[in-house]
Amino acid sequence: MKADDASLQRLMALAQQGDAVAYRTVLVACQRWLLRYFSGRIVPAQVDDLVQETLASLHSKRASYDPSRPFLPWLAAIARYRWVDQLRRTYRQQEDELHEDVVGADEEESIAARISLDRLLGFLPERQAHVIRLVKIDGHSITEAALRSGQSEPLVKVNIHRGLKKLAALIESE
Amino acid sequence: MTMTIDIETLVADLQPVRPVSPRGGVLIALVAAAVVVAVVAATLGLRPDFVAGDPHPVVMMREGMLLLLGFASLAAVVASARPGVGQSSTGWRWALAAASLFPLTSIALSMTSTGFPMDVLFSVDGPWCFGVSIGGGLLIGAGLTLWLRSGAPTAINRIGWLVGLTSGSFGAFAYGLHCSSISVFYVGLWYTGAIMLCALLGRLIVPRLIRW
Repeated sequence: MKADDASLQRLMALAQQGDAVAYRTVLVACQRWLLRYFSGRIVPAQVDDLVQETLASLHSKRASYDPSRPFLPWLAAIARYRWVDQLRRTYRQQEDELHEDVVGADEEESIAARISLDRLLGFLPERQAHVIRLVKIDGHSITEAALRSGQSEPLVKVNIHRGLKKLAALIESE
Repeated sequence: MTMTIDIETLVADLQPVRPVSPRGGVLIALVAAAVVVAVVAATLGLRPDFVAGDPHPVVMMREGMLLLLGFASLAAVVASARPGVGQSSTGWRWALAAASLFPLTSIALSMTSTGFPMDVLFSVDGPWCFGVSIGGGLLIGAGLTLWLRSGAPTAINRIGWLVGLTSGSFGAFAYGLHCSSISVFYVGLWYTGAIMLCALLGRLIVPRLIRW
């Protein structure tokens, strides 16, 4: 069964008052919604962890929901925030691989570039979007991305760097 | 399955909460601003024309602009505590554009034959304006940041700038009630500098404190 926004809105208002049954229903519906939301946005192995983290955030920040407003935009905002945070952490782990040739691509740029990545990638030349998708979303190494894309390793690094810079500029102008 | 267990854990931990209200953030910012105004009035004194109820037109414009900028950015800050995809608060951009008329006018006038007045640049009051505005701004910004921690802001860096802009504007407003200058150059340099520094401090400090 799919809960509609009006039901979730009402149930979450009850949950804020301490109604455990309503809260459980909200969390189960959110779990389903989040699984769909994160699929394709992050490495599949990380989806479950991210769903759990987002549910924990929903729990700790449940007072930030305004019961007079629709529920799903609030949930989506929290999900997107956790998603960006997850990408940032993943990127930090991978940063060593990119370290030599990505000097100047500062962290903010890289973090910002991940927001709305799917949609924004469409604005980039295919060679840049392809390697960013391979390395940042699918989790491949630079070497693997070079093999799959037919680009040399230095070119993969340069294209990721240039692509992220363009994405950051696009996000700032949103 | 672990996720089911987690949901039960969260349900077991459920306590009633009061939804975050933007009014709380507005109240904290305004009370802090009122404290700064009271301190300025008690220690430095208010402008005689202001006390007499007949302030100079430049003072009215300056204070009005600072209030406008402060309230517009405050509205964006308090709205951010309750996130939602698709909602945006952009009024502060117009207020900022309006406020930038003071420094832009100063720059334009400086390019004329008279140039930038040196007495403004080396004004004895300038550093006071700077210090009191920033000091007051820090108090207002601290209150606002503490309140924000109860919310769930998602555009962390932008909110950092906006907290700085809000607190700097209200801090400068408070000092402006004492400030004897009626020069546009003075506003363009000292007030703008204080607000910009507050905004920068907000950007550097606030995100670390409100990240969740």
